[in-house]
Amino acid sequence: MLRPDINDLLTQTGPGTPMGDLFRRYWQPVLHTDELPEDGCPPVRVKLLSERLIAVRTPEGEYGLMDEFCAHRGISLFFGRVENEGIRCPYHGWKYNANGQAIDVPSELNNSEFCKNVKLRSYPLVKVGDILWAYLGDPEKQPPLPTWEFATVPERQTYTSKRLQECNWLQALEGGIDSSHVTWLHGGGPSGHGLEADPLFAGSKGNQYNKNDVKPFFEVVENEGGLLIGARRNAEDGNYYWRVTPWVLPNFTMVPPRGDHPVHGHFWVPIDDENCWAWSFDYHPTRDLTETEVDAMKAGAGVHSKNIPGTYLPVANKDNDYLIDREKQKAGILFSGVEGIAIQDSSLQESMGPVVDRTKERLVATDAGIIKARQKLRRAVEALRDNGTEPVGNVPEHQKIRSVAIVLPADRPFVEGIGDGFLAREGVGQTTV
Amino acid sequence: MPKVVYVGSDGSNREVDANVGENVMNAAVRSGVPGIVGECGGQLSCATCHVWVADEYRDCVGGPGEMEADLLDLGVSDFTDASRLGCQITITDELDGLTVEPRPEAWH
Repeated sequence: MLRPDINDLLTQTGPGTPMGDLFRRYWQPVLHTDELPEDGCPPVRVKLLSERLIAVRTPEGEYGLMDEFCAHRGISLFFGRVENEGIRCPYHGWKYNANGQAIDVPSELNNSEFCKNVKLRSYPLVKVGDILWAYLGDPEKQPPLPTWEFATVPERQTYTSKRLQECNWLQALEGGIDSSHVTWLHGGGPSGHGLEADPLFAGSKGNQYNKNDVKPFFEVVENEGGLLIGARRNAEDGNYYWRVTPWVLPNFTMVPPRGDHPVHGHFWVPIDDENCWAWSFDYHPTRDLTETEVDAMKAGAGVHSKNIPGTYLPVANKDNDYLIDREKQKAGILFSGVEGIAIQDSSLQESMGPVVDRTKERLVATDAGIIKARQKLRRAVEALRDNGTEPVGNVPEHQKIRSVAIVLPADRPFVEGIGDGFLAREGVGQTTV
Repeated sequence: MPKVVYVGSDGSNREVDANVGENVMNAAVRSGVPGIVGECGGQLSCATCHVWVADEYRDCVGGPGEMEADLLDLGVSDFTDASRLGCQITITDELDGLTVEPRPEAWH
């Protein structure tokens, strides 16, 4: 249970808020490269951490991210003209370069100094992998560029999607941290477990362990960049099947692998306090994704959603009750009645309300990961606010991490048993079951 | 039967005959002592049974466990060295006379 002021502290990310300041210490995924597909393409509106911005790609190929509104009278530069080296407001022709610096103010040609004094707030926007990342913090403290494995393997080994989620970022992150829900929410099918029906999950021995042991034991261990959340289920011969989810501050999780399938994970990036982008990546560290796999991802299998073409809004959303199928729910084909892992998550997380009231929850032992994550976030936010302490998670040492699935003897602590299996190492296969 | 004393916010005391093995939250809730809710039924999952343990009993009762401390830290507005969650204090004969002050929050 969180008291109201702590709930506010953890959920509010606008400018000047303590959690907003924390988020601004990190590169965040902002746009898919598809959204600015070529030099000189139309600009895109971006709302990030409650700031309204515009993203451009100049004819020279330079990426820019700046305040959405012209410095003159507040017109949205979404309607601007992308021209050489920048964007020109159509109202009176004020032109800005990719850094938001005014480079032409036609009515003030006699005053050559005027331009120099006009600059829109702007942030670096860089391409790493198939994503454009932005950093909204103090330029003097800019962290290294993202080094996550999914974004740095060759292009053919990785696929990333995004969808709009109409709820606060934290309740979405908490879903990613809590793996006890998998057995229920993502369950179903004649085999009793919906995972077997999904082409991106089927065929792993782990699915059987998931099905047979519906009461996993959770062990949460602190690591440098966040937490390692271990879910332990019974395997044979007195061994345990561990599925370990790393959480890296503030908003990254990675789902443990199944078989040789690509492994996936998420970021939940605040748009404002009531909406977020759910980014889902899928990658394989040592081979290309197959055409079948990519087609499945594009069709909304695995952790990806089927979106309305041309948008990032899922087809199944809150306006149509996520197309819930009560027949399938009753027949147990889908435990939740909602199709697709991504939408199963979104539907419930959005149903909690835009910002869930955490004074009303009744947590149980399997929520240990959530409780610890809230504590760690709260401490990081307060340390930054009160002492200027740099938070963890924005350096390569914390980002080069993998999730793990493994069978271990019962007396082996999972962190020790996995060892280097947690590290993202080029050319080294996943630790999986 | 050991007694547990609940100190009211107005200074008044409420004495409860407790059972050995019962916890401080349960003894309060079944006796109608105000200020202790026990929403999660003693599962160490809420923070609605917060009490301050009187000085003379603190050594005997001991401090909170790790999860208990996390819940207190995130859930209550007056977490002090005397804080415990009532559901985590088991009553014994040695604790006869245990005196605690319920610390409800405004939104309970």
